[in-house]
Amino acid sequence: MKDNPQIIQTPISGNAIESLRVGDMILLSGYIYTGRDAVLPKLKELFETGTLEENGIDLQGSVIFHTAVSPAGVGPTSSNKLEIEGNIPILSKAGVKLHLGKGALKPETVAELNRYGSAYAVIPPVTALLESKTLNRKVVAFPELGMEALHSIEVVEYPVIIAAVNGETIY
Amino acid sequence: MIGDGSMKYDDIVRKTADTLLRAASSFRADQIKAYECAVFEEEVSQSKWVMENILENAFVAESGCSPLCDDTGIPHVILEVGKSQAISREVLKAIGEGIEIGLRELPGRPMAIMGNDEQRLDQSGGLNPDSGAMLPAPIMLLHTDEDVLRLHVLMQGGGPEIRSKTYRVFHKHSVEVLVDEIVSWASEVVGQLGCTPSTLAVGIGRSHYEASSLMLQAMTFGNYSEQNALEKEISSRVNKTNVGPLGLGGKNTVLATFMKVGPQRASGVRIVCLRPCCCFEPRVASIEL
Repeated sequence: MKDNPQIIQTPISGNAIESLRVGDMILLSGYIYTGRDAVLPKLKELFETGTLEENGIDLQGSVIFHTAVSPAGVGPTSSNKLEIEGNIPILSKAGVKLHLGKGALKPETVAELNRYGSAYAVIPPVTALLESKTLNRKVVAFPELGMEALHSIEVVEYPVIIAAVNGETIY
Repeated sequence: MIGDGSMKYDDIVRKTADTLLRAASSFRADQIKAYECAVFEEEVSQSKWVMENILENAFVAESGCSPLCDDTGIPHVILEVGKSQAISREVLKAIGEGIEIGLRELPGRPMAIMGNDEQRLDQSGGLNPDSGAMLPAPIMLLHTDEDVLRLHVLMQGGGPEIRSKTYRVFHKHSVEVLVDEIVSWASEVVGQLGCTPSTLAVGIGRSHYEASSLMLQAMTFGNYSEQNALEKEISSRVNKTNVGPLGLGGKNTVLATFMKVGPQRASGVRIVCLRPCCCFEPRVASIEL
């Protein structure tokens, strides 16, 4: 673990994940996806049917932040909800390198993250601060889900802490 | 004009809206001080960083009058009524309108479910896109010796509601039995809360309704700088869980305990309500109408 926050820019490479340690403090910048209970199972279906690209979605090296995007802003929901944690392995296989939320994950999910070279990080629920670091947002897919649709947001230096990587977990 | 003419309807609406905005977007002075102390004392660097971010978030939210958290909460209103004050239907209507306007201006997360009883239960009625449609809980009235009509607005988030508990405790004529039970409940749920450090709000009464209302009063009137011996004991024991901010470990699982003990009856049972408030709560603001 390093004492000072590291800067990470999306998309994230496999080498960048390998160099991370549990407890690392990160300032995350770039484009990231947002999705939670309602949309992640649908995203999984797009991957399984090979229709990600035709829906304008590129998961290679991507980040998924477990949040809604509402007029109030963004903030992490619990990542250990069934529809969220249950889809972390398959979405890691699909190319997602960093899953961003809050709460402890099961040991088997930590093992699956390691299998696919992905990581899990927690983010403080600091909505006003995150809003000041969010440059833009747009709906990418499933607009009928409203604030729970798959969004892409451009962020600058979101404060996150690596909670599971390379088979280890902070919890 | 309302009542004797000293209160204008529109003034109450505006004051209520502003109070809601303040509750949802700012920390109180004692809350800031409690966080500053916690940051100073914390030895786990990640936990210290989380609390520094929470403090920075409070300053950003207050300066922009924007939500502290994207779960903007369910409005709860308490009215303190002084000796020569009267509450009319118009006053209550103005407060309701002020809540609605405050939610729209914040803006609150639109989370009100539309439809009949069954549709609201299974959410098949769909979300109301209007932030102002989040109706407040029933208003609580309290007496005060001061000759004022004072409004308090609390914004109650969903996470703590999941982990709250109101239940009977057979006290065996011992305060320690009650404290042990509260510590046991709190220690179990603070790790599940996610958004720690928590502030524990506790109400102890004769009925479930009374205990819940006392818990709400504890959130409203509790002060981080004024902790009695029982509150300190509960906080100290729950902090031994080492859950820490965001579950990352450390000294600061809870910042404080706010406890309100109401009237009790000759019985072997006390009704205890515990709410493990999230890292932004109590989100409360007050104003004299």
